[in-house]
Amino acid sequence: MPEIVNIRGLQKKFGKFQALNDVTFTVNAGEVVGFIGPNGAGKSTTIRILLGIIKRDAGIAEIFGKDVWKESLEIHKRISYVPGDVTLWGSLTGGEIIDLFLKLHGRGNQQKRDYLIKRFELDPKKKAKGYSKGNRQKTGLIAALAADSDLYIFDEPTSGLDPLMESIFQEEVEKLKAAGKSILLSSHILSEVERLADRVAIIRQGEIVESGSLEELRHLTRSNVTLATEGDVAVMAALNGVYDFEQKDNQATFSVDHNQLNVILREASKLGVKKFESVPPTLEDLFMRHYEG
Amino acid sequence: MEEKFARWNTLFLIYLKRDWKKMIVWILGLGLFSSAYVPAFQEISKGKGLMGMYETLQNPAMIAMVGPTPVETAGEYTLGALYSHEMLLFCGLFAMVITVLHVVSHTRKEENLGLTEIVRSFQVGRQANSLATLVEVVFINILLALFISGVMISFEADTITVEGSILFGASIGMAGIIGAGIALVMSQLMPASSGATGAALGIIGLLYIIRAGTDISNVDLSMLNPMGWTYLTYPFTGNNWVPLMITLIFSVIMMAVAFALEGSRDMGAGYLHEREGRERAGKSLLSVQGLFIRLNKGVMISWLIAFIVMGAAYGSIYGDMQTFLESSEIVQQMLTHSGASIEESFTGTIMMVMIGLVSILPIVLVNKLFTEESHSHLNQLYATRVTRSRLYWTSIGLAVSTGLVGILLAAGSLGGTAISAMGDQSMMGMIDFLAAGFNFLPSVLFFTGMAALTLGWAPKWGKVVYIYLAYSFLLNYFGGILDLPEWFAKTAIQSWIPRLPLENFNTLVFVAITVISIALMIIGYLGYQRRDLVEGA
Ligand SMILES: Nc1ncnc2c1ncn2[C@@H]1O[C@H](COP(=O)(O)OP(=O)(O)OP(=O)(O)O)[C@@H](O)[C@H]1O
Ligand SMILES: [Mg+2]
Repeated sequence: MPEIVNIRGLQKKFGKFQALNDVTFTVNAGEVVGFIGPNGAGKSTTIRILLGIIKRDAGIAEIFGKDVWKESLEIHKRISYVPGDVTLWGSLTGGEIIDLFLKLHGRGNQQKRDYLIKRFELDPKKKAKGYSKGNRQKTGLIAALAADSDLYIFDEPTSGLDPLMESIFQEEVEKLKAAGKSILLSSHILSEVERLADRVAIIRQGEIVESGSLEELRHLTRSNVTLATEGDVAVMAALNGVYDFEQKDNQATFSVDHNQLNVILREASKLGVKKFESVPPTLEDLFMRHYEG
Repeated sequence: MEEKFARWNTLFLIYLKRDWKKMIVWILGLGLFSSAYVPAFQEISKGKGLMGMYETLQNPAMIAMVGPTPVETAGEYTLGALYSHEMLLFCGLFAMVITVLHVVSHTRKEENLGLTEIVRSFQVGRQANSLATLVEVVFINILLALFISGVMISFEADTITVEGSILFGASIGMAGIIGAGIALVMSQLMPASSGATGAALGIIGLLYIIRAGTDISNVDLSMLNPMGWTYLTYPFTGNNWVPLMITLIFSVIMMAVAFALEGSRDMGAGYLHEREGRERAGKSLLSVQGLFIRLNKGVMISWLIAFIVMGAAYGSIYGDMQTFLESSEIVQQMLTHSGASIEESFTGTIMMVMIGLVSILPIVLVNKLFTEESHSHLNQLYATRVTRSRLYWTSIGLAVSTGLVGILLAAGSLGGTAISAMGDQSMMGMIDFLAAGFNFLPSVLFFTGMAALTLGWAPKWGKVVYIYLAYSFLLNYFGGILDLPEWFAKTAIQSWIPRLPLENFNTLVFVAITVISIALMIIGYLGYQRRDLVEGA
């Protein structure tokens, strides 16, 4: 599969502050990659390097196999971008701004523009200074989604959108995905990432600490188990690979390492299992584990 | 009452605390500007100076600018008469404009920013904020009036009487209070804060232009104009307190209207609704040039109009040049060179002054690109096919073109008015004026180049260019009086350029400065190409 985005050992300093230490991940063709991490981890910085807005200190950063700094013009013909905080010229209307962006992008689609304006319920005749945060964000989204690109880069695109608009955005992204487009999605809304992303890269303090498909990542971590037995369930607490054990009568909840699952099941069956439920970790669990650790 | 204005006094004290620095700058700056020129005017009045000034200021073009005087013969024209004639209208106008900006920014603008929402969630009356702001500006304008009167009295100059000084200060303070009333009413009517500021300033501009007309045709009609009430008090001559009484009544009515309007409107909304804009962009907007022109349109048009007015104002002096120059030794020293006609030497100097002012606009336009950058407005543009080089050179191109148009308008309007004022005696043609103006083109390019250089390498230092401009301007303006050493004078770029039509055009200097300026722009470009773009990190 050809790599659309290729980042390897990316570093960036602001003065003395090392914002990016070692960022490495890829986005393959037709793939949606979720880019998550706590505040200040370096997500926007990485994206701004990809867009050629700031210059990296070291490492490789390529889009479509081209260097993001030296060949930005070629790259920009085929990408769309929405920042997390869309700021607009107050004296222009939303409609004018969308048209301007599409024109400067070069591959805008008029029908799609009109369709999206309706879909997101934006009033294009209103001056942007009168827009709420959500409406500004919608303007940026429409301008990006109505352009025909191969790679879409979203940096917290739904910040300020109401839940209805958020799900409309997700539907539109699914359409792009179905059309074989590649997408880099940075977001704090993990349910959004879980719904859309094929793969996830987690960044913390300027380093990628985990990356892979959601399946793979889930496997690396623990499932949450609820177990009720006829015998005394307390013996389970002593087993290897059991954590956060809590007991109430003969029912216990705990988390388990996946590689210990077999041993644990064998022990449990000795006690006579009345109830066994295992829930895979949510992205939130994954995230919290890296966030806290 | 209690419900509406509860705890306005607490807000008032908070505002005084928050604004005290601004208040000091406001009162000292405008106060000294209004009062401290007394010694300079004393200097001008020496000898036949007062008579010369009287004749000059009788010119209808001058009356349109500074207003009328009640004095009917040159013999009765005293220092006090001259001072209030020249200064009062402008100082009042400034007081009005500053007050408007302050009132709107503390009332409607805070609503737009959502600050009012927070304040109102406390135990504060719905209209307490407006009342507190109003009391604050009235307070500031009273202090301003007292300060001006005090400084003027302290000079103990002949004919600058105590009563006149108090009236002079009071007129300026009242001008500010009129501005407060207009601003507060507009803040209720307009859909957003920028509209309120625009409408209030627009009304002030309109009142100014109307009074220019009535002052020339029939001064009595100016008495119907709130702007007229400020200078028709005629301090030091008529000492007429009646207009101030009218102003007081007018302001109370305006404020009552404003509070009534505010009482029955929703927060964040005005009585007039925002006009619908275009649903689709017009063709002229759809390019980087189009966008930049649109964003800078207001600034460009107002500056270009200012250049025309400035040219016309200076041009109108040419008719009575002789009397004007005889008025003062200082003026003579600044403006004349031996062996040339007065008109020619005046043209050389005044052109330097005007083109110095014209240089401001290109600097503003180049700096605008960084303002846009730091406000994150260009965020999404960077990700399109628009290159940095396009953004940069479009800005520079726009700056250079407005510089050219600015020179053309300033020099053309100076020439046009001067030639018509001189009538048959005119010794210079339009082409001489234009040549004298475009002779300074390299200096405009040089300032543009400096702004471009900072944009590329140290954008936070963009304001330094204005400081250098002010420095060179002052050096040239006062250079004639101060007798500076050659090398020192040459630190100002304009000093290298000969004064046409007195001196001969110097091709070498013209080309050299132009080439240096272009080099600065190219070096700036190299920096802009490779630096990190700032965006509200
Ligand atoms: N221009 C800059 N100058 C100095 N420091 C910066 C600059 N831009 C970013 N930083 C710092 O770099 C770090 C990474 O910032 P970045 O904006 O990439 O974080 P983020 O992951 O996008 O966070 P968030 O989730 O809050 O958006 C932060 O500590 C930030 O303060
Ligand atoms: Mg960010």
